[in-house]
Amino acid sequence: MTPPDPIIRLESVYTAYEGADRPTLTDVSLAIEKGEFVVIGGPNGAGKTTLLETINGMLPITHGMATVCGQDVRKNGVQVRCRVGYLLQSFAFDPLTPFTVEEVVLMGRFGTIGLFRKPKKEDYEAVQGALSLLGIEDLAARPIGKLSGGQQQKVLMAQNLARNPEVLLLDEPFSNLDMFAREEINRLLAGLVGDGVTVLIVSHAFDDLPERAVRVVVMQEGTIVVNRECSPGEVEQVVRNAGREALHA
Amino acid sequence: MLEFLIQNNIVCHAVEAMLFASIACAILSVIITQVQISSIGFTMAHAAFAGAAVGMFLSLNPTVCSIVAGIGVAFLIGPLSDKARLSPDTSLGLLFGICMAVAIFFIAYMQTLGRGFSTMGLLFGDVISLYREEIYLLVVICIVAVAFVLVLYKEITAIIFNKRIAESVGIRVKPVYYAMLFMIALTVSLCLPIIGGLLLYVWLVIPAAIALQFCNRLSSMFVVAPAVAAVVSVSGALIGLEYSLPVAPLTAIIFSVVFIVAVILSPRRRVTFRKT
Ligand SMILES: Nc1ncnc2c1ncn2[C@@H]1O[C@H](COP(=O)(O)OP(=O)(O)O)[C@@H](O)[C@H]1O
Ligand SMILES: [Mg+2]
Repeated sequence: MTPPDPIIRLESVYTAYEGADRPTLTDVSLAIEKGEFVVIGGPNGAGKTTLLETINGMLPITHGMATVCGQDVRKNGVQVRCRVGYLLQSFAFDPLTPFTVEEVVLMGRFGTIGLFRKPKKEDYEAVQGALSLLGIEDLAARPIGKLSGGQQQKVLMAQNLARNPEVLLLDEPFSNLDMFAREEINRLLAGLVGDGVTVLIVSHAFDDLPERAVRVVVMQEGTIVVNRECSPGEVEQVVRNAGREALHA
Repeated sequence: MLEFLIQNNIVCHAVEAMLFASIACAILSVIITQVQISSIGFTMAHAAFAGAAVGMFLSLNPTVCSIVAGIGVAFLIGPLSDKARLSPDTSLGLLFGICMAVAIFFIAYMQTLGRGFSTMGLLFGDVISLYREEIYLLVVICIVAVAFVLVLYKEITAIIFNKRIAESVGIRVKPVYYAMLFMIALTVSLCLPIIGGLLLYVWLVIPAAIALQFCNRLSSMFVVAPAVAAVVSVSGALIGLEYSLPVAPLTAIIFSVVFIVAVILSPRRRVTFRKT
């Protein structure tokens, strides 16, 4: 039997922001199997966010080939995004934003519900499930703008869980969370990975990683400089070493 | 349509026109203020104004010309920002200036040619000399605006919430966004002859601004804004015709007064002290 195709496959991909004269990601290749837990490290401006948005097709790929969940990202970006959750980096909503927590979480399912269709019972059930996974059922009717930064981050996490994604991209999801919330989310992520969800997480905090082999990807100046499997305890060291080598190079 | 309520034919037509125009504009006002594209709405309103002035000068159909100009502007904003290396804000300011220049030039020129009377309606609106067909057209645009929001409700709300998040959950943001701009151009062009190019913008912003003072939910804004706009506009038409005051400017003033009162009465700004 041949091994299954990787769920994420990038082959010498170049990504450029609209209007930029140089690509931000240069010659990035990456293969990730279904159910892997991937930690992405690297300094600010290294291209970590750009990498995530290349994977879900939100940024234009100028060269190379990218397939995610068996779909060509360049041709079928919308289909890819229906199956790939993405928690955006640091958000703050205006206090007057006219949306409740429940409405925001339901929004996660809008892509899969599809054009001209209304949410059904199963969609509302998924919302309730996601809220209770994060322990924020009591916030359901509150306007999102009037929550704390950490609570807002949990709501956006719930929005992504309500989608039952095959791949979950998380961009610094811990930045506003207290240590209990971090542990809780890490436990949740470990559970998801156990269920076969592929998780890619950009982070600068490497404690409480799930007790399983993880893949570390370190980025620098728009390329991947380290890509290897290791135990959760080694992640911090790998990222540090990569940073030190860059300093002395 | 409302003859059974209002005997006078002129008053009846004026009320109908204001009613349907205000409902269509108010629905779009919620989108315009919440997606924060008021400068686009502003520029499109003036493009439609310029289009109508040129159309009138060339004896073409002014409504068709203003639709073309409004949509033209919607599709110019993006490329103009890229090519001329201007921020969208600057390119909108630029387009607004150009539209105003074109509109004022042709209106002034028509006045020197002795065709000034027909241009007054373009500037300040005209509810007296309406054709039956124009009112039917307003009914149609009103229904289209309601249907637009109902059919694309998920997509519109997600874009209002956050464009990037909307895109990340698999919504086709660009087509829906351009559909919004298209709806604005269409509505603005059809309402222009009634409300006038100088005041149209009031109808595209104030209804939502009033609704925002009382609503916590987007869904209620989509109901409150048109309701308030309908009441204000119909009152404006009735009072204006009764006392021979200019209808659209009078209505714009009533809108402003209602807005100020709404801000003062707004429960959303009031600080309440409660222990529970
Ligand atoms: N919207 C943008 N337009 C142009 N360049 C951008 C944009 N966002 C980020 N960049 C550039 O891309 C590079 C990588 O950014 P990013 O992926 O956000 O870094 P990281 O997430 O690793 O901190 C940065 O050098 C930045 O200057
Ligand atoms: Mg980043």
